[in-house]
Amino acid sequence: MLVDWLLRQGAITELVGPLSSGRTSVLALCLRVLTRRGAFAALVDVDHAFDPGSAVAAGVELRHLLWVRGEGRREAALRAVDLLARCPGFALVALDVGESSPRLPLDAAFRLRQAVRRSGVALLVLGARPVVGGAARLVVRTRRDRLAWMGSGPMPRRLAGMRTGLHVVRKQGASWPAEPEPLWWTA
Amino acid sequence: MSRVACVRVEAFAAAAVERCEPALREQPLVVVAGAPPATRVVEANARARAGGVRPGLTDAEAGVRCAALVRRPVSPDGEAAARHALLEACLSVSPRLEDAAPGLVHVDLDGLGLLFGDDAGIGRRLRRHARAVGLEARVGIAGSRAAAGVAVRFGPPVHVLAPGAEREALSAVPLATLEWPAGLAATFARWGLTTLGDLAALPRQGIGARLGRAGLAAHDLAAGVDRAPFRVWTPPPFWEEGQGLDWEIATVPGLVPVLERVLARLCARLTAAQLLIDVLEIRLALASGGHHARSVALAAPLDEVAPIVALLALEIDAHPPPAAVTGVALSARAVPRRAAPRGLWQPPVPASRDLATVLTRLTLLVGGANVGTPLALDSHQPDDFTLVPFDGRPPAGDDGPGQRDGAATSRPIAGPLALRRLRPPRPVQVDTRDGRPIRVRDTTALDATITTAAGPWRLSGHWWDTAAWAHDEWDIALPDATVWRLSHDRLTNHWFLTALYD
Repeated sequence: MLVDWLLRQGAITELVGPLSSGRTSVLALCLRVLTRRGAFAALVDVDHAFDPGSAVAAGVELRHLLWVRGEGRREAALRAVDLLARCPGFALVALDVGESSPRLPLDAAFRLRQAVRRSGVALLVLGARPVVGGAARLVVRTRRDRLAWMGSGPMPRRLAGMRTGLHVVRKQGASWPAEPEPLWWTA
Repeated sequence: MSRVACVRVEAFAAAAVERCEPALREQPLVVVAGAPPATRVVEANARARAGGVRPGLTDAEAGVRCAALVRRPVSPDGEAAARHALLEACLSVSPRLEDAAPGLVHVDLDGLGLLFGDDAGIGRRLRRHARAVGLEARVGIAGSRAAAGVAVRFGPPVHVLAPGAEREALSAVPLATLEWPAGLAATFARWGLTTLGDLAALPRQGIGARLGRAGLAAHDLAAGVDRAPFRVWTPPPFWEEGQGLDWEIATVPGLVPVLERVLARLCARLTAAQLLIDVLEIRLALASGGHHARSVALAAPLDEVAPIVALLALEIDAHPPPAAVTGVALSARAVPRRAAPRGLWQPPVPASRDLATVLTRLTLLVGGANVGTPLALDSHQPDDFTLVPFDGRPPAGDDGPGQRDGAATSRPIAGPLALRRLRPPRPVQVDTRDGRPIRVRDTTALDATITTAAGPWRLSGHWWDTAAWAHDEWDIALPDATVWRLSHDRLTNHWFLTALYD
């Protein structure tokens, strides 16, 4: 199962990829699975880009989701993640750093890793490129490998779906399950 | 046959002071009122009474009789809080109470036998609950309030008069052990009455003709008969505790121990009533004569002292009072405690104590408007949602995993394509051909030919008022492999990029 493959309690996972590659859809999928299990999740959203409407459509239990909007303030968002990562009880803390976020300083990244290790929280960092560096247990790149439109010819009626491939960029630990099959998202 | 308990706290004004300063229980204590040299003793605790101190003595006389006497001024706030605390402690045993006087509560025991056992067991429970809020009470139980009110004044701490035997038990009680209105005791002595039985044996009408209303009340008390209706007490919507200070406090660390004591008393009352604090208001009396008030809305309802004190200290630290503090009053808005036990296989949830602290810090960090749970509104308008406070508690009836998403976890994973919103929407200029967008550009770096455009999806709403809106939405793909949602405002003829498929 993708969520169990992607997330580890007490570890950091990075999900990187270009825009329209499906990384936000992967986040919505993780939120759906965890919140429907009855667990609580937190999302720190630096650029205020999270869409509650598509989360509801994805089946996310919004009442189990804590949304922290950074309003573009990256430092405040990182401090918010630091606080949430030290609060046991959240099954997932997600940090959406947006498109132009620089790498975290090494000491800050490893402090974050220590925090999630103590609290047992799974931390998922989404961005265009890796920001946590070596502190992440798993770095996965999303790549869109297909886009489907409904309707023939140059004037399709609607966007039908998108397929996303997940590719491991770096992993820590000897054994890791094989990469999952590509994921189809319906528009 | 009805049963009534009378819960009584001796020397209530002194007991209210001892509740605020428990160390004074081991010392002779008097509560005094009036400015020197006319200061008089209002109430004395048991140790002071043992030293010969009585209410009504001047401060100087009391000092002569008991050299180690500790004096405290009358505290109306403290007495009111103690009075409420006693009522709330009794409320946790029975829902029907009567607030008879400060430190005197009548409790209707009907039907409680099935819950708590016999009368003596209920009496012990009442004493235990009163002790939990810092008050040492005696309990008398009888078939009427009058008989219970007499029984509570003598005998063991929990004094139960057997049903039907109240009058006989009361008949031997000396009149001198009870407090009577001025002049009545002398009349009884002149008539040669020594016990309640003597008084009860007299004809009621004759007593009424000679002594008036006071005499009738005395006769009813002696006979163990209730005439007045039972006035049921209902708890107030606000819960308050306060403490005046004999010294001035100018720093937050100095204020924390006082806050802890006041809050501990408040939390004990709320716990007895199965309530939690939702919003806490603190009012600091200042040496300058003014007040400094702050309000702390807890992210999750709590009744634990330590995290709330930490939040209060943070709040006062962020908004310090302009002068030294001479009094502290806390007022809580309470919500019922919800029992939500979790199953063995359900995932853990954040502890309310940790969550409250984290949410408060997050609020300070990014602002209250940016922390919460999103709530999608029932609307056709895109991106229409609101943010509500994060609950952090599992809803009642949550059945846990496997029952609600079991199919989703076992079949091949797929889901709807998520959107990333642009807030506010990004205005763009769009070239069209036959009504379809073919090129998009803006004032920055964006200038691209649209490779694929699907649409339009026509949306509109609120056409009946001034907030009318009408959009045509397109899904467009650009050469850089991004897929956007493009919106055409049909009312203003402007184009916007509103979201990105990701």
